[in-house]
Amino acid sequence: MKNSKRLLVICLCVVLVLSFALSACRQNEENGGGSTTDPNDTGKKTSTDIMEISTFISRAGTTPTADNRIYKKIQEELGVKFNFEFVVGEIQQRVGIMISGGDYPDLIGVQSNEAMQFIDAGAFIPLEDYINDAENYPNLNRHYGPLINRITHVDGHAYIMPNFGVHYGTFYQNETWGPAFWIQRAVLKEFGYPEIKTLDQFFDLVQDYMRKYPQIDGQDTVGFVILTDEGRDWPLRNAPAQLAGYPNDGSVIVDKVGSAYNARLFQHLDISKRYFKKINEMYHAGVVDPESFVMNYDQYISKLSSGRVLGLFDQRWNFNNANLSLYEQEKFDRMYTPIPVVFDESITDWYLTRSELNVNSGFAISENAKDPDKIMKIIDALLDEEWQKLLQWGEQGVDFLVDENGMYYRTQEMRDNYNSNEWRLRNQARDLLEFLPKMEGTFSSGNATSPGIQPSEYFEGLTDSERELLSAYGVQTQGQLFTTPPENPIYFPAWSINIPHGSAEQIANQRLKDIAFEHLPQMIRASTSEFEQRWARYVELNEAIDIAAIEAHYNKEIQRRVDDWGPSR
Amino acid sequence: MQESNLNTEVRSSMVVRKTNRKKMWDTIKNQKQLMFMSVPLLIYIFIFNYYPLYGWLMAFQNYRPRRDATMFNQEWVGLDNFKFLFTQHDFGRVLRNTIGMSVINLILSFVTAIVLALLLNEIKNLFVKKTIQTISYLPYFISWVIAATIVSQALSTDNGIINNMLVSLRIIDEPILWLAEGKYFWGIFGIANVWKQVGFNAIIYLGAMASIDPNLYEAAEIDGAGRMKKMLHITLPGIKSTFVVLLIMNVAHLLSTGGGAGGFEFQYLLGRGSNIAWSETIDVFTLRYGIRMGNFSLATAAGMFKTLVSISLVFLVNGLAKKLGENRLI
Repeated sequence: MKNSKRLLVICLCVVLVLSFALSACRQNEENGGGSTTDPNDTGKKTSTDIMEISTFISRAGTTPTADNRIYKKIQEELGVKFNFEFVVGEIQQRVGIMISGGDYPDLIGVQSNEAMQFIDAGAFIPLEDYINDAENYPNLNRHYGPLINRITHVDGHAYIMPNFGVHYGTFYQNETWGPAFWIQRAVLKEFGYPEIKTLDQFFDLVQDYMRKYPQIDGQDTVGFVILTDEGRDWPLRNAPAQLAGYPNDGSVIVDKVGSAYNARLFQHLDISKRYFKKINEMYHAGVVDPESFVMNYDQYISKLSSGRVLGLFDQRWNFNNANLSLYEQEKFDRMYTPIPVVFDESITDWYLTRSELNVNSGFAISENAKDPDKIMKIIDALLDEEWQKLLQWGEQGVDFLVDENGMYYRTQEMRDNYNSNEWRLRNQARDLLEFLPKMEGTFSSGNATSPGIQPSEYFEGLTDSERELLSAYGVQTQGQLFTTPPENPIYFPAWSINIPHGSAEQIANQRLKDIAFEHLPQMIRASTSEFEQRWARYVELNEAIDIAAIEAHYNKEIQRRVDDWGPSR
Repeated sequence: MQESNLNTEVRSSMVVRKTNRKKMWDTIKNQKQLMFMSVPLLIYIFIFNYYPLYGWLMAFQNYRPRRDATMFNQEWVGLDNFKFLFTQHDFGRVLRNTIGMSVINLILSFVTAIVLALLLNEIKNLFVKKTIQTISYLPYFISWVIAATIVSQALSTDNGIINNMLVSLRIIDEPILWLAEGKYFWGIFGIANVWKQVGFNAIIYLGAMASIDPNLYEAAEIDGAGRMKKMLHITLPGIKSTFVVLLIMNVAHLLSTGGGAGGFEFQYLLGRGSNIAWSETIDVFTLRYGIRMGNFSLATAAGMFKTLVSISLVFLVNGLAKKLGENRLI
């Protein structure tokens, strides 16, 4: 009897403890949900109407410092605080987890395929009503109103506010952030800035330099590296298209047939064979770095930062950290300059394209956002010229000065600050700006919207070695090293075409990528006599995949864009 | 006592069952404190290990996460995901790599850990023993991300320590691009794993060795047994039961990532396009074709497959252990 009583007591205890634990959990949940909208609890003095916006940035990054000047200003004047979450590790994994849990932050900054995943999952709210509301959201309306067709998703709603490609006034294309063959300035300088047009000339020059300087800073000179990282497939796969005179359309090349477009995958076509045959030769000549095929992205960047790599094919934004690092080390001659290399002189280069609207990139509002109207109000406010000036240039008198003609300029110290990663964390809202809708071109005052594209500022800000290089080639800007780009095709760019998740085409596309990443490195390293045979085998493997289905998908989407986006931009 | 036994024997089987039930009830009553102590654990195991199993349903669906997604408004596709998994042309090689590397790891890690433990056990100078032990288990505490970078630096053709050493010893003429050749991958995996895990694995055996009765050694000494003899006839048999339990546990992990079997991190971090034929394991494949593509159903199907294989392996080894008259886990 006594025993069973004790049993009862124990039982009750367990129940009690459990219920405490559970109720604590629930309370936590309520508090957690409440604290973002009602920051009163935090007890800050000025926090009564500060709204915290949880913001996801779909790439790696560093949290800005707590006393960041610009974020502080935004907080003071607009009453919002952005709490950033960056990707650590695999973006797809993070996005997958976020979607399966339905656990979205308020604001989501996407930059490529993950956009589709979110949209498919219904994670974003439609934004067209905001964009069309000229009264309450004047800046957004001005910015996206004319482009509403382009940013509308196939289901008829606009979800993403593209962060690049909306132009105001004059748009100067001073430098390229896209694909190119990049070469160290020192190489060009050494041989008196020769005219480099073809792939053969490019490699000849690299080889000459290697012969002359087998070592740089006490380490072996590396002629050419290729990043073979599956997640960043362009340095390995895309060069043939640009060499053949096609603009960057990702893994396809697009021909105009009559009035229609025809997209083809090219990783198994003859243009690719021509390129990889050359790379194969160069591998055996000791120009192509064998480490290319075992390096990961971080090792690649650190190798480039060492200043002993002479050439590479990549998109500038992908290796810019190496460039910045060389700048900080004051190895200006070791920094890279783009060359629009083609297969032979009859081909016109089309590396440089007019800036395009990337419909998969930018901020979107998640369905979990507590107050989407307010968030959109803030984005609208930040699109105002004054805020744009603060975000892109900084504070007048601190980050830039104004001359008697009203033109903005900077001192060298300001420029150096601007280029310093560490300074940026304290004094710029870099990550926010990157993903926000922004003005590109010129402000109403005639100044360029950012220092990088202000012509005078651009030229003044160049290092001596680059200025020397540009004047040797008789141009003022890096952009002028390229052929002036023609008008973009309407559909452009095809790389922003998404292949739906879970479709057979997506799997086929991944198979193709796998084949390329497995066999191309092997082919490059194989002996030259074996090349033909291996190439034939590679083409066979490619053709076993349903390439036609993938191409059909591209063509369908291109046609849709042509129909929806109208005859001209 | 005897009387009651007799009585039960003559009674009907129903009554026998009743008494059995009563006996069980008595046992439960006797151990009720223990039972109650295990309740929280049972709840924990249920919540985290059994309840999520309903997610296996996903393997038979084409699961798409979306706003109103539940487990029950998805498209049911039967065994399509399994079909896809098994008919992918490289599934054979993925399975081969998984099992191959697991077996290498299993054998190497047991042999090296036991040998290291035996050697350490023989060292009488405590300082030397502790120093060696600490050095050998330090690599265990660095994450694979860092370890993989160390490995790839060591194997680099660009001043990597391994190539430099082999070249200066004239074993090879030119640096070898170790990671780009699939045929070296398993070996690199085996060695790297030993380097990282051996010290830690040895600790368990050292513990087991410490619990061997010292009298046995003394007796053996009196009988004239030398060091080797003592190791062979006392130390090794003394750790046999530990060995068997660990073996059963490790076999369960043959196809999976956990438990140091290493079917994911190493391959994921050091797998490159050029060695994929020998580096891609089930987990890496699942990541690439399942999770990265938003195809959670495929990932679930692969997980289910792995679990089923693991459970059968555990029962198999457990059965073997029973036959051999050894300690068992289940």
